[in-house]
Amino acid sequence: MQMDFSVIIPEIAMVSLGVLVLILGLILPKKSLPRLGWFTSFSLIGILALVVLNWNNVGTVSGGLYLIDQFSQFFKVIFLTAAILVVFGSMAYVDKHLGGQAEYYSILVFSTLGMMVMASANDFITMYLGLELMTISFIVLVCFRRNDSESLEAGMKYVLLAGISSAVLLYGLSLIYGIAGTVLVVEVGMILAVQQSLPLLLVGVVMLVAGLGFKIAAVPFHMWAPDVYQGAPTPITSFLAVGSKMASFAILIRIFVLGMFGVSLSWGILMAILAGVTIIIGNLVAIPQTNIKRLMAYSGIAQAGYILVGMVTASQAGVKAIMFYGFIYIFAVVGVFTAISYYYNLTGSDEIKDYAGLSQRSPLMAATMVVSMLTMAGIPPFAGFVGKFYLFMTVVENYLWLAIIGLIMSMVSVYYYLMVVLVMYRDRPQDSSPIVVSLPVRMTLIFTMLVSVVLGVYPGPLSEIINKAALSFFMH
Amino acid sequence: MLSVWGAVLIFLIVGVIFGVGGMLAGYILAPRRKSAQKSIAYECGVDTIGPTWVQFRTSYFLYALLFVIFDVEIIYLYPWAIKFQSLGLFAFVEMIIFLAILVVGLWYAWKEGAFEWT
Repeated sequence: MQMDFSVIIPEIAMVSLGVLVLILGLILPKKSLPRLGWFTSFSLIGILALVVLNWNNVGTVSGGLYLIDQFSQFFKVIFLTAAILVVFGSMAYVDKHLGGQAEYYSILVFSTLGMMVMASANDFITMYLGLELMTISFIVLVCFRRNDSESLEAGMKYVLLAGISSAVLLYGLSLIYGIAGTVLVVEVGMILAVQQSLPLLLVGVVMLVAGLGFKIAAVPFHMWAPDVYQGAPTPITSFLAVGSKMASFAILIRIFVLGMFGVSLSWGILMAILAGVTIIIGNLVAIPQTNIKRLMAYSGIAQAGYILVGMVTASQAGVKAIMFYGFIYIFAVVGVFTAISYYYNLTGSDEIKDYAGLSQRSPLMAATMVVSMLTMAGIPPFAGFVGKFYLFMTVVENYLWLAIIGLIMSMVSVYYYLMVVLVMYRDRPQDSSPIVVSLPVRMTLIFTMLVSVVLGVYPGPLSEIINKAALSFFMH
Repeated sequence: MLSVWGAVLIFLIVGVIFGVGGMLAGYILAPRRKSAQKSIAYECGVDTIGPTWVQFRTSYFLYALLFVIFDVEIIYLYPWAIKFQSLGLFAFVEMIIFLAILVVGLWYAWKEGAFEWT
């Protein structure tokens, strides 16, 4: 059987890049290792260009096990963009605190590859493979600060979480397989569409939601997130918050909206309740936090809740809203975390009170944090407002209470985001020397801020592209 | 009436009895005479010297890990070797790539000193 390999060139390029970075780490002398960061980021930009250029080059590989459509292409763009920004933002941090550049960048590339596989996977086994590739890479990255007990604790917790969630997820998948008799998502969808709702199906659905709920850190499966986010190296925290979350949403959409479209009534209400609880608890618990990384972890939980809102109706509008929000979410999260990790580099502190007077020391870092946080809070004219608008519009008709919860809690979130802003702009700095921001970090900060503003003012073209991509998702 | 699954049930019951029964019989029948000799750690029959909670080298772990890599490699090589004639050049190239990736891993382990025993 002859296969068309041209559609998976980006994936092949990712494997080659990961292996190549590792080999370069072996060959190059120790003092030129920091250049690997530049090499990795520019290669990733090349691969991103490949994906964009092959936007309409869709097809399947391995007899439908691996599916390349505009939906998966769009998610690949999300993951690659996140990876590029994270690599740019982490160069200073890695050189100063971590070492082992070859391993760091190589594993980062492999985890991105795992996400790409997840976005394209069209059957349960491939999905699981991608998920494990991503998760195992993340386990290594989370405990990359090898001499730091907090990082090791975070790694340990992540291992346990990964084990439990994989077990639950696999059990759920096996139950669905037991009902449908196939692992191909599209075929599962066709079989379930004509079948009565079985108790066994319900158990399977609950297991799947629980397994993936761990990955996206939805309440009540969120307990691991604050500890892991706090302990992990800061650039990895941002990648975990965006990449891991959006990849899990990609398979969540694939399994539920495509595979269980016919029984969407039985899981729609489940998703709605989960989203509501996640939004409420994430936002309320974020308020008393004093560590900025923990604050961002709880805000990330709340964001997962917002994104879950798009799942509830199992509609094209919902899928589109998730994709749009996911895209702007990268820039917001990476913007904040790049500033956090650069600030940690200088001061060695993640406490919010130590951010006093940041606006005087580095106006750029403070401004980026403000814009990113307001985007996450959903304040116009920033991009988050448009994203939230699309998300909540989908549920206004049938689940009005969920939209109201989302709106009220968005207002609550403004409070704790602005608390940080207040510290940065009102309080006097203890050390008022200006901060010099290095080139890659400055690029990342300016770029993320620009995107958040531009997409907020002018979301039209992106919205159009995503509309088409979401439509292609339903074409199978 | 016993259905097909009845056999499974009987199998399960007998299995549980077999496992639990053995331990239970030992618990009831065995004489219990404690002595200092019996409560020391068992290490191939010879009395242990010094504390038994010692650290041992993590190199063992690395060896085990590398062994598993090549174990898995063999699993994939066997079916490929048997079907080699009919698979043709494409499968050969695929296998070479697979082996190359493993060799890079071995190279990495070597360079990082996984085979040094000091």
